[in-house]
Amino acid sequence: MPADVRIDGDTLIVEVLGIDKLWALKSRLQIPLVNVAGATIDPGIDREFKGIRTGGTHFPGWLTAGRFRKNGEKVFWDVRDPNKAVVIALRDESYARLVVEVADPRATVDLVEHAITRS
Amino acid sequence: MGRPRAFDETEAVQAAAALFARRAFDGVSVDDLVSHLGVHRNSLYQVFGSKRGLYLRALRWSLQHQVRPLLGADTAVLVREPALDLLLMAATERAPADPEVAQEVSAVLAELDTATRPETTATLLGMRLRARITAEG
Repeated sequence: MPADVRIDGDTLIVEVLGIDKLWALKSRLQIPLVNVAGATIDPGIDREFKGIRTGGTHFPGWLTAGRFRKNGEKVFWDVRDPNKAVVIALRDESYARLVVEVADPRATVDLVEHAITRS
Repeated sequence: MGRPRAFDETEAVQAAAALFARRAFDGVSVDDLVSHLGVHRNSLYQVFGSKRGLYLRALRWSLQHQVRPLLGADTAVLVREPALDLLLMAATERAPADPEVAQEVSAVLAELDTATRPETTATLLGMRLRARITAEG
């Protein structure tokens, strides 16, 4: 099931739903909006080397879920259908990025992008 | 954390502006940006936050360094200028759906109006639209 991404006050909530809860280590991530740098539709990211898995599950070509480490950065993955992958970039958080599958990538990106302010 | 930035930010922003001016926002994927800008995906996200973050930087750069210096120039000159293309694309594609883009576009259009006359701005943009059909750049 796709992840649920929503905003509650000044917090971004990313909830991993359904069966993927078995795979990803944490099913609910809460990020202060000030630490959210942006969101992007990015199906192509699935074809890049994801790094070293440090937790969760990875069945290449079927499901990527859990924690990965690449170039010294921690990245959270929960993607089954790369066509619906959204990258949420973070700052000052333990994860540098969240790569999650969502039901409506365009709506999720608009939601996040319009909730954050850039100087 | 992560690798140090091994690229020139301004060069990346300029290359992105050229790409968005030709293909529009929705026509440029992150894969396109990675290959055309010569910037790693992780650096792209670290520095610009998102594709839209980079787009806003590119649009602001273009308006400041390509469009504003031309304010007051002759219409015949402006019509041949690819410098207007990101503004044109932003006005048609992104501005109606993106308040921040709309604000940037409206501000520079108002400056164009002041530099000439509102009718001239409208004519100019229309003429540039037509010139693009046959122009190389």
